[in-house]
Amino acid sequence: MKTLKHLAAIALMSTSLVASAFAQDQVNLTWQMWGSNENDIAAWQHLADMVTEVHPEIKVTMQTAAWNDYWTKLPVLAASGQLGDIVAMQSLRMPNFYSILEPLNARIAADSFDIGAFDSSIIGGMSANDEVYGLPYDVGPWMMFYNKDMFDAAGVEYPKPGWTFDDYVTTAKALTKDGNYGAGITPQNYSLFTAALGASYINADGQLDLTNADAVAAAAKMIDLVVTDKAAPVVASGADPGAFISGRFDAGNIGMYVDGPWAMIGKIDTVKFKIGLAPLPRGTGDLAAVTAGSGFGISASSQNKEAAWKAIQVLTSPEALTYLASQGRALPARTAQQGTWYDVAAADVSGAREALEYSLAHSATYKITSNWNAVENLFNQYFPLAFAGSATAEQTMQSIQSLAASQ
Amino acid sequence: MADIVSTQAKATPRPRRRSKISAYETRTAFLFLLPSLLGFLAFMLIPIIASFGLSFTNWQLLAPPQFVGFSNYIRLLTTDPAFFTVLGNTLFFTVEYLVLNIVISLTLAVWISSLKRGQRWFRVIFFIPTFTPTIAVSIVWLLIFTPGGVMDYVFQTLALHIPNLLLDGKLAMQAVIIVTLWASVGYNMVLFNAALDLVPQSYLEAAKIDGASAWDRFWKIRLPLISPTVFFGTVMTAITSLQVFDQIYVITRGGPGSSTATLGFAIYTNGFQNYQMGFASSLAWVMFVMIMALTGFQFWLQRKWVHYDS
Repeated sequence: MKTLKHLAAIALMSTSLVASAFAQDQVNLTWQMWGSNENDIAAWQHLADMVTEVHPEIKVTMQTAAWNDYWTKLPVLAASGQLGDIVAMQSLRMPNFYSILEPLNARIAADSFDIGAFDSSIIGGMSANDEVYGLPYDVGPWMMFYNKDMFDAAGVEYPKPGWTFDDYVTTAKALTKDGNYGAGITPQNYSLFTAALGASYINADGQLDLTNADAVAAAAKMIDLVVTDKAAPVVASGADPGAFISGRFDAGNIGMYVDGPWAMIGKIDTVKFKIGLAPLPRGTGDLAAVTAGSGFGISASSQNKEAAWKAIQVLTSPEALTYLASQGRALPARTAQQGTWYDVAAADVSGAREALEYSLAHSATYKITSNWNAVENLFNQYFPLAFAGSATAEQTMQSIQSLAASQ
Repeated sequence: MADIVSTQAKATPRPRRRSKISAYETRTAFLFLLPSLLGFLAFMLIPIIASFGLSFTNWQLLAPPQFVGFSNYIRLLTTDPAFFTVLGNTLFFTVEYLVLNIVISLTLAVWISSLKRGQRWFRVIFFIPTFTPTIAVSIVWLLIFTPGGVMDYVFQTLALHIPNLLLDGKLAMQAVIIVTLWASVGYNMVLFNAALDLVPQSYLEAAKIDGASAWDRFWKIRLPLISPTVFFGTVMTAITSLQVFDQIYVITRGGPGSSTATLGFAIYTNGFQNYQMGFASSLAWVMFVMIMALTGFQFWLQRKWVHYDS
């Protein structure tokens, strides 16, 4: 009788344990992510599946939106209390959005999570007020992608680390022939070029300052490349000038354009020529290569913070970042894994390692204002007038400066 | 009006039964209207009231809205450098587009109704763009207008010195108007064409026998008889053109400069790009008042030119 009671008790206990384990276990997480094309989305889906492999009780469902739409959707979701558990965040946007994310310092300390394995600049980018709000997956400087075949055909020397903006203009002019353009620039490249030239578009107080002499001179250099030298196509004010320029580069119509390590995904398979990489051209001084990166945070309103914390550790694990690097989707934020990007994704890209190492050695923070979205929209609206030759660099900068001040 | 008066007159002798039936009918009618009414409440009336409330707040989405009184409206009318440009662009678009739309659709309708055969085919052909999504239409036109695109090629081949429409501050709005006309002229055309077909043939024949020319028959008989339809078309077209957004969002994003930034586009930019929902709501209310005023003005004007032949 006693044994029977014992047995029954054990049976009861075990069933309740199993039941409670099942009840606790199945956690469904929603992941707010950007994804511009099917290559991109497939890579992220692979990462979501990796989470379930490591933690079978967690299932991650992605909600993707194209890059620009993501930043329209995110605050609306947050305001209506429908934000997913995991939120992708870019370092540039962190100052505006950290309030919707869970602070992570306590969890990092409790699990003695090794934050030192990540590039320190991007941990800075994922932080606000000395508190980490996201684990980064990538870091990367903007660089110059070039069409090696077009250089060979024109007999022009490839760009090398340390090249100057004047070299860039000369090269672009030499490549411009037979209906092809040597260079492609978009209005949003302005901040990257200005920083690379050693000029500043933001003053010491963190306010937009587009009308200082150096900032205007940087705009004039870009505008001259289009208007005077006719070495870059005119982009109209439209939905996505970046996609226009990268599309024309992929089609072999443009010799050089600016993009980041994340753009390598699918690129080598798409284009019918050899790609080369170089750092951005510098001014008279040293290069300042603007760097940005992204990562994953936990929504402050999530009901499953513990599971989300486990999930973002998997999403930024060495295995996940090695996968992203091999796909050419990201230069890993973990320094130990960065080699995969050069050795696998960019193996056929000449100058990739030199360009990246040089850029990272000269890396600089991407400076922005709190209304940067509005400023970038104004770049897109007002640069085309200058590219068409109907406004000077000075007028363009003054218009943007005065309109941005009110927004 | 006359109908209501006569119903009331008839109803007076038997008030009880009448009201019973009408109460019953009202309930049934209400039940049938409920689905649409719920949709109207959830997606129109409540948001409209909410946006009025929001227009007195500063709401950047991530933090709760703060009440700021009239400061959004004051900023709009005094310090905002873009508002009057946007307002001017909207009115410019509306006036030019409205006039061209009515003239072209009326011309097409008259031409089609004069055809001996193939009327149905032409009606369908001109109506097709109306039920094609504006976004899709705009993307195709964007590829035509884009610098170095088809339009530039045609102008070059014909040796016409016309600058690219999307790069010229004065011409960019014309590109938007061309796209909008192409996409929506068919709707008014079908309306006007149907109205023209209803004009009694006997009137026209009588006038013809009396020696009235085709020109006179159009201006003195057909146009006055279809004027209620033309009025309806004008009011609806004016309202939709004040709200223009899709084409601008796809083709120009308000540029170059601010030359194609309209009220609808400014509401979107301020609300969803710059995250200033309160300010965007105040812009929306300015647009609402403008549309109300313009529609009221049109109803006042109709007494001068619309003939109700009853």
